[in-house]
Amino acid sequence: MALQNEDKLEVGYSSLQPKPKKWVLLMLRLLAFFATAAATVVMGLNKETKTLVVATVGTTPIKATLTAKFQHTPAFVFFVIANGLASIHNLVMIMGDLCGQKLDYKGLRLAMIAILDMMTVALISGGASAAAFMAELGKNGNSHARWNSICDKYKTFCDHGGGALIASFAGLILMLIISVMSIIKLLIKPKPDSTTVVP
Amino acid sequence: MAKINKIFSNILRLLAVAATVVAIVFMVTSHDSAQVLNLTFTVKYSYTPAFKFFVIGEAIAGGYTVISILLSFKTLFWRLIVILDMVATVLLASSISAALAIAQVGKKGSTHAGWLPVCGQVPHFCDQVTVALLAGFAAAVIYFVILLCSLYAVL
Repeated sequence: MALQNEDKLEVGYSSLQPKPKKWVLLMLRLLAFFATAAATVVMGLNKETKTLVVATVGTTPIKATLTAKFQHTPAFVFFVIANGLASIHNLVMIMGDLCGQKLDYKGLRLAMIAILDMMTVALISGGASAAAFMAELGKNGNSHARWNSICDKYKTFCDHGGGALIASFAGLILMLIISVMSIIKLLIKPKPDSTTVVP
Repeated sequence: MAKINKIFSNILRLLAVAATVVAIVFMVTSHDSAQVLNLTFTVKYSYTPAFKFFVIGEAIAGGYTVISILLSFKTLFWRLIVILDMVATVLLASSISAALAIAQVGKKGSTHAGWLPVCGQVPHFCDQVTVALLAGFAAAVIYFVILLCSLYAVL
């Protein structure tokens, strides 16, 4: 009688446990997807054109058109690629959570999700920090190397870049929380051959 | 199997500590000066915030690795170690990424922003920074393998 109660308690508890965490994880992944996708799009469309008068020949001024694009800086290119890959990863994970609950490979589904989440966190952190220091260099310049700051000339470019950076850092914090939750899900997986109640 | 995993993980942690120490030492001792048109042009690692962040990040990761080697003989914190290993990996990836971005600008310059490359005038500084960045990259890769080992130990 006591053993039956214990089995019922174990089955009831383990079926109750993932439910509240599943919706929280899904919401966090959706938010992280939006954050990284916003960072990708804003930085990918970051472009500013300025026309300067270079010289005056007689009465006609000679104009030079200068553009600031994100492709000019390898750090920003890496930023766009990293955030794009991260948003694709989040999208695939959301689809896997919603539609492919039965997909499994030798029981390693949770481990693969945890490893992929950790790789994505490292990728986003690399991209965000490289772009952040590059943006700091563009904003303040470097007096020791005689590099002038470019943000006073290209204000919109700098503003959009700053917005994309903030979105990416928000995505990084969300991905860190998601990764920790995936690892916790891996650690408290109920073992099938034990008869004790899972704490 | 768990014993082999722990020994392998500790060997990798020692390698990671060595890599971070090499990175820190080479970055901190890198300074050079050159004479350009009667002006003395000095460079130190502390003139760039990205390199300072690199040194601080490697120092924190190296210190954490030493603590985790000492604590691995107790097996009380084995669940916390996975999460802290992930934080250290993220920190190392972030510092090497930032330092590489600024070093690339220093070596190649940026024609669009009107920034001249610096490495032609101070080659000694650039060589030492290159060695430091290689060591930092090795530390990041080793740490990712350590993370996989820790994850395998708790599976």
